[in-house]
Amino acid sequence: MTPAALFLAVFVAYPLFRLISDSFFKISPLVGGPREFVGLDNYVRAFTSPDFVSAGWRTLAYTLVVVTLEFALGLGMALLFTTLGRKSQVLRTLFLYPLMIAPIVAGLLWKFLMIDNFGLLGTLLHQAGILQDPNQIGWLSNPDIVLFSVAVPDIWLTTSFMCLVLFAGLQNIPGDLIEAARLDGARAPSLLFRIILPLLRPVIAVALVVRGIDAARAFDTILIQTNGGPQSASETMSLLIYRTMIRFGDPGLASAMGTIYLLAMLAIAFVAVTTIWRPGKDT
Amino acid sequence: MSIAEANNHGSMGIVPAEPGAAGVAHRNAQAPERTLAGRIPRAGQTIKTPALAGAGRRRRGVNREGLEAGKRSTRTILWILLAASLVLYGFPFLYLLFTSFKTPIDTIAVPPTILPREWTLENYANALGRSGVPASFINSIQTAVISTVLSLVLSVPAAYGITRYKTRSGRIFIMAALVTRMVPPVAIGIPLASMMASVGLADTPIALSIAHTTISLPLSIWLMSSFFEAVPKDLEEAATVDGCSRLGALWRVVIPVVSGGIAVTAIFAFLASWNEFLFALLMTAVRSQTTPVVIANFQTQFGLDWGSMTALAAVYSIPVILLTLFLQRKIVAGMTLGAVKG
Repeated sequence: MTPAALFLAVFVAYPLFRLISDSFFKISPLVGGPREFVGLDNYVRAFTSPDFVSAGWRTLAYTLVVVTLEFALGLGMALLFTTLGRKSQVLRTLFLYPLMIAPIVAGLLWKFLMIDNFGLLGTLLHQAGILQDPNQIGWLSNPDIVLFSVAVPDIWLTTSFMCLVLFAGLQNIPGDLIEAARLDGARAPSLLFRIILPLLRPVIAVALVVRGIDAARAFDTILIQTNGGPQSASETMSLLIYRTMIRFGDPGLASAMGTIYLLAMLAIAFVAVTTIWRPGKDT
Repeated sequence: MSIAEANNHGSMGIVPAEPGAAGVAHRNAQAPERTLAGRIPRAGQTIKTPALAGAGRRRRGVNREGLEAGKRSTRTILWILLAASLVLYGFPFLYLLFTSFKTPIDTIAVPPTILPREWTLENYANALGRSGVPASFINSIQTAVISTVLSLVLSVPAAYGITRYKTRSGRIFIMAALVTRMVPPVAIGIPLASMMASVGLADTPIALSIAHTTISLPLSIWLMSSFFEAVPKDLEEAATVDGCSRLGALWRVVIPVVSGGIAVTAIFAFLASWNEFLFALLMTAVRSQTTPVVIANFQTQFGLDWGSMTALAAVYSIPVILLTLFLQRKIVAGMTLGAVKG
């Protein structure tokens, strides 16, 4: 235990400490450049910067979209696999494959489907007669919808994870309970909402929290698809911090942003865990 | 294969496992006197990871009939639905594969076609022949292997300590490890990179694999703790009574039982490192660049070379996809373990 604790202390806690301490300085991007203590100035700058505030909202919207869709699709697939029983086992294996694909590759292949001109999605919709022009929807070039488009690879990648976890949870529901409810005349919707979902609650909580944290940190898929564009319409917090640090060369400000971001995430995760999960309560 | 089964495999060498052990466990659970052999499968059961795949040895109908659809017509519709969603789900990657076999000009043809007009390996030749690409593969493998080993060496003793000596600090530690999961990599990437530079490790696979271990270690500890928890304490005590030292008991009895769990943890650590991009982007320059960074660089450095990009992405993904298909049962077990235990 000690070596592992030491490792985490050195390579996680210490960089975190550096991050927090850097956030109080104005730092020149040059190596060995001057550092000047500026107190909370970076925090003030972060909160008054429109970029930061809108990136925060975008991150929230992105996370909600990803987790909600993923949960709905994952639950649907899990129910499908469960109702079909053991014979669907082979297909279940196939369903897992996106989990092994690097997010960067997933972002790339969806970009390839959605990009203007030679993207396949627009062309297929056009051929199916839904769109008049293959480029009618600028999946990745229209600032109004780009945030949803960049969420697609993320959803595609991890719906399998949702499905897997929920499926495992479903297997733990005693069959007798379902039978009893059926005998009492419960139909499918009330079975789902009154029995299955409440019983799955702890599993759902874990899955949502884990995925929520991951989605809020999304970086790879967005970077490769749009690099935060067009007009920063898909710039989430991770990308903004990255850009502030690397492109604008303002490590102090970036550290302040990172610190706020981390605190926000801890707070949200804490609330989520205590409200949905309710460990200790026997659900 | 469920965890229960994985553990049973491990325990075969020590105690005679009963046939259909998992099924028998239900009865044993109520029996006042339990034999050691009866306890092993019960321990597996306490994980409550259901036999996800291949529940061969578990008797049917205990848990599942309730939710399985009865009517033939309903089932047929559901099968069609499932097949359709799988086709949709699998299509993006197939399209990537098809595209990688197109000629470089056809990859960006307007309008695009699904299948290549002409199958060629040109993109593969271009991608793999580019300088830095073969080296990046070696870097990726090196980084992932070092990170996996590091992760195991640190997490196995830590998890063992936490589950065996249930101390307060252990519980705090496991919570702290989970909190590190929330740290955005972008926030610690830069300080970490400058730390590495100050000890002369800048731009090396070692530095990157240490960074990757910060991601995989909390998960590994979490997973390994669950696996260790499944090993009954009596088993270890019995070994000590038989004359094993504490360490000997750990090495000869406990480790073999959890070997399946160690394999799962190793796979996860490997994948986490193999697919990681952000740390790799921040911490490597030229010498130790991993393939994901190279794939992303294709976009800027050489204009838009879509063909090579798809080819390289395919080459990078296929080994791990195949690996998954072979080892899927273990992976499934690992993924569901933490969550289902709830």
